[in-house]
Amino acid sequence: MKKNFLKKTVFLISTICCLLIPLSISSARETKQKWEFLNPGGVIKIEPMKINPHPATLEGKTIMLRWNGKHNGDKFLERIAELLVDSVKNIKVIKSWEVAPETVDPIAGSQERSQEFARAIAKFNPDLVIGAQSD
Amino acid sequence: MTISSSEFNSLAKDTSVGKGAADLSFVVVPHPMGMIPLTEIREKADRAFPFILKAATEWKPEATLPPMKPIYPARKLTFEGTIAELNQYFLDKGFSIGLPLIPPTPERVTKMLKGTNRKPDDLLGMVPPRMGALTIEMVAIHAVMAGCRPEYMPVLIAALEALFDPKANWRGLTTTTATSAVLVIVNGPIIYDIGIGSRQGAAGSGHQANASIGYAINLIADIVGGSKPPTPDKSLLGGPGDFVAWIFGENQLALPKGWTPYHVDRGFEKTESLVTVMGVYPPVDNIDHWSISPEEHLRWWSYLVSPLLSIGGPCWISQMDQPHIIALGPEHAQLVAGAGWTKERFRKAFWEQARIPFSAWPKGCPNVDLLIKKFGPVTSDTPIPITLRPEELHVVIAGGAGKHSHFFAPFPGCFPVSRPIKK
Repeated sequence: MKKNFLKKTVFLISTICCLLIPLSISSARETKQKWEFLNPGGVIKIEPMKINPHPATLEGKTIMLRWNGKHNGDKFLERIAELLVDSVKNIKVIKSWEVAPETVDPIAGSQERSQEFARAIAKFNPDLVIGAQSD
Repeated sequence: MTISSSEFNSLAKDTSVGKGAADLSFVVVPHPMGMIPLTEIREKADRAFPFILKAATEWKPEATLPPMKPIYPARKLTFEGTIAELNQYFLDKGFSIGLPLIPPTPERVTKMLKGTNRKPDDLLGMVPPRMGALTIEMVAIHAVMAGCRPEYMPVLIAALEALFDPKANWRGLTTTTATSAVLVIVNGPIIYDIGIGSRQGAAGSGHQANASIGYAINLIADIVGGSKPPTPDKSLLGGPGDFVAWIFGENQLALPKGWTPYHVDRGFEKTESLVTVMGVYPPVDNIDHWSISPEEHLRWWSYLVSPLLSIGGPCWISQMDQPHIIALGPEHAQLVAGAGWTKERFRKAFWEQARIPFSAWPKGCPNVDLLIKKFGPVTSDTPIPITLRPEELHVVIAGGAGKHSHFFAPFPGCFPVSRPIKK
């Protein structure tokens, strides 16, 4: 009887050990280690674009107001047009949405479409373009 | 010079840098500009005018772009810690979108590159809006992180090539306030070769290829492209599509007799494997358990879908030129085809039924003149269809057993772009 109890106890202890040892090994594998990995951030590759300086004065200049189609952007620019005409001598204000309605598109999306819009606006030879990006 | 609202100025700046202008003249107006009365927007213009006048005559470009670094090979980095700590480090460094990931060790990346014949230094393009250079090696890095198998690489590469097409409007899709997502439809033998989910729950969980390719696409958009919220990703709410792109294979085995698979509609051979991507809004689910004729079924569609599903439809008329996807469930497809209808007849009947009266158009939308030009004189009762022509309704057989179909409206400026899948 006593022998049997001893046998059972030894069997139980060894079973528990068998279960725990691999667990302790795997938790040891979870300890700190040195990782070497490749940088997933990548490198930015942008072709620089030259921006023209603004004119020193707006007198006698042509200003293009460009609206992208978002709500109230045109209303904002309409008011800017009134203020420009009132405060600057011989200024000419052109509204893109009146002369180039194809540029009224808030989600240009690609460089190519933006360039199309820029070309359409450039045809009017403005000295400065003021755009409103509303939301 | 650019006038932007305070909430969106950072996106405007990021966009100008991404387009090559390190410095641009900005005047910031307190948010919002839209959805306020005329008097309020004019007051905002009055307050901004002195700053506009000053910037118009005094601003000079100052900042320059940093010098470009070599795009290949990717730099090796090291970190000491547990896998959990490494995941946290990735999140802190901006190399993660919050889901667990597998470390892109050089060994794992080398193994992943075996899934393609492309050279690791091949440049696929610059991922917007940050314009991060995406080489094949960089694709493999993200494929490892997302848990892809090497054999998924050709599908992932084809999907990314399609996204680089300007017609895919990847920039708009990743920076919008909308809850938009990349939809990827796979066709051809590749579905069965690599186990793309294409039947029951095709776009859902449990498909390793769909899940890991979809995860890799979004990792690349957010990490290489830098499109993370709150800026430059301006998603107002966001959604699951921001983590994993929406991917399914067409259920080609459930195609009704005489109906062509989607890749054949797109002009490819039946034996070819094809990936088609499109930027979409979350789909509308047509739950029709009851119709026993195509006519009844179409009546359901006519109440469910309209041009108002997407902002572009009513306000920016250009969206009416964009294809929309009808992901027709196999049982709905059988109902229609069982009555002897061809795909073309279904498409045309759908287009004729799913219309809304012009009076539903939101007030204040631009381009109403263009709408009138396209449809002729309109009264408030004139029914306006979803698209200009029935051909812009693309039909794909999607999913398994059940009484559902789905309708994906495109995000403005996004067209479906297809690329053959090549090793």
